[in-house]
Amino acid sequence: MTGRVIVITSGKGGVGKTTTSANIGTALAKDGYKTVLIDTDLGLRNLDLLLGLENRIVYTIVDVIEERCKLKQALVKDKKNPNLSLLAAAQTRDKTAVTAEQLKEICDTLKEENDFVLVDCPAGIEQGFQNAVAGASEAIVVTTPEMSAIRDADRIIGLLEAKEEITSYKLLLNRVRPSLIKSNDMMSVDDVVEILSCPLIGIIPEDTGIITSTNKGEPIVNDEDALAGKAYRNVALRILGEEVPFLDLDEPKGFMAKIKNAFSKLKAKV
Amino acid sequence: MEKGFVENGFIIDLSNAKNTTQLVFELSSIMEHPDVKGKRICLKLGNLDLKQSQLLSIKALIESMDASIALVDTKSEQTEASAVSLGIIVSEISGEAVPSLTATSPEYIQEEPVVIKEEDVDKGKTVEIQADTGEIRHPIETTEGVEDTYEEETAREISEVIPAESFNTDFESLALNEGILKTEEASKYILLDTGDVLPQGVEENSVNTETLPTLYLNQTLRSGQTVTYEGNILIIGDAHPGSEIVATGDITVWGILGGIAHAGSMGNITAKVRALKLNAIQLRIAGLYARRNDTLNVPYVQKTNEFTPEEAQIEDGKIVIYKKLRRD
Repeated sequence: MTGRVIVITSGKGGVGKTTTSANIGTALAKDGYKTVLIDTDLGLRNLDLLLGLENRIVYTIVDVIEERCKLKQALVKDKKNPNLSLLAAAQTRDKTAVTAEQLKEICDTLKEENDFVLVDCPAGIEQGFQNAVAGASEAIVVTTPEMSAIRDADRIIGLLEAKEEITSYKLLLNRVRPSLIKSNDMMSVDDVVEILSCPLIGIIPEDTGIITSTNKGEPIVNDEDALAGKAYRNVALRILGEEVPFLDLDEPKGFMAKIKNAFSKLKAKV
Repeated sequence: MEKGFVENGFIIDLSNAKNTTQLVFELSSIMEHPDVKGKRICLKLGNLDLKQSQLLSIKALIESMDASIALVDTKSEQTEASAVSLGIIVSEISGEAVPSLTATSPEYIQEEPVVIKEEDVDKGKTVEIQADTGEIRHPIETTEGVEDTYEEETAREISEVIPAESFNTDFESLALNEGILKTEEASKYILLDTGDVLPQGVEENSVNTETLPTLYLNQTLRSGQTVTYEGNILIIGDAHPGSEIVATGDITVWGILGGIAHAGSMGNITAKVRALKLNAIQLRIAGLYARRNDTLNVPYVQKTNEFTPEEAQIEDGKIVIYKKLRRD
């Protein structure tokens, strides 16, 4: 079996790479696919926190590279889902501890026994980014509807296009606030897609539940009711090749709002 | 025999401490006492050599508890030099020495001075706290005759007294055995099944950690920072989650231990980890690794005055945590 290696990157920090990695990974594992998450953000690791696995990490990716342990020993199994495992970054080292070739080798080994290998990329376009991208054949570019994040995403897409190994890249628009789009205070999804001219793989609404889920170490896809969780599950399905329509984010909350919405849609058609 | 005139004075006798670790541990347990607040501390440091930075830390430590150092009594030249350079008055805690205090710091003098005097304190009791006056009294050994038997005496005393009496606390054993605990606090740590984790060629040993050198650090360890030392490590400050402390001997954190602590990293099974608040994400002693239980509810903000000092060590192939309980 040869799995797919997908790198999750953004250029700008704080747009939700790690949250996206944790949630897509959990969603794919829930669908029954063997998935490994690799945290390549050496020195600033967070992925273990989001998954609630911090206390189980004994060996890290640097230990594997420096041959202090076997790759299997360093894989930390998820608490709930045996299909999901994590290869943690070293917290006490920096990006120079790993080279692109070494990371590619790890990805190549892991994809032989797994359906998906998701690589969580650090912010920036330096060594850390080069390392993370080295083993991947697909990329998901995370961005938010803000000019600065879009500018950085554009730069990243340019770099990805220049890489022969990356055969496909998709855009994931995070932290979308429909109410702001409506009042013309935020760029719409269409605007972003137009600026970046990149196929879209998902739209994730801003959700306060993300904060709680991060603090609890429990990915939001495990919450059946959360809209952001549903959006992430849909992204996982699209990765698997299913055609899933994008969520209608401006779903009205109350009864009156629903009627209002129905009218406005009617108006739009006329 | 001894008459000191120090307003709000306290004599703390730490001359029994063999190393800085013990000194700070003992001092901290005394300083916890609420009556120490606002007092002027007279420190008896005995033969211990303290560098200027170490003494400065101790001073800061005392000041952090709203107390201050009035004077220091030491037999070590190095400590004396350190104290002088820090502007701390060095003096024998005795009747003759006090006038020098009067000369340099007249504000210490009270119209009706509190008289601190040596009393015949029972040898076995290192610390005696009197609730009504708020005084902590220690046996003060000044005569030459006592000196001769001093070495033997302290060696025995420390090993016997420190675990219970000198801290004036109860210790309760919390055995960790695959998640089964004897107390209601559920299992705080769960042993990790990691197989052989000691480096190759390293065998279990039980070197007395008291014979090892001690690294003394007065700082907060932040995420990503590692301290490694061949000997004991003493940290005055917190060790944040994501930090790592690796020592071949004991690890003592005078603060909140939130990161990873590996004591006895070269196979010493007698090594211990102790902290004012033991929240380590992982506890490692020699070849045993334990992770913090997921169900343990650690608050986001861990700063608290409600410290419950704990000490972890190996017993019968398990990591056991001794909890210090407050006697209210």
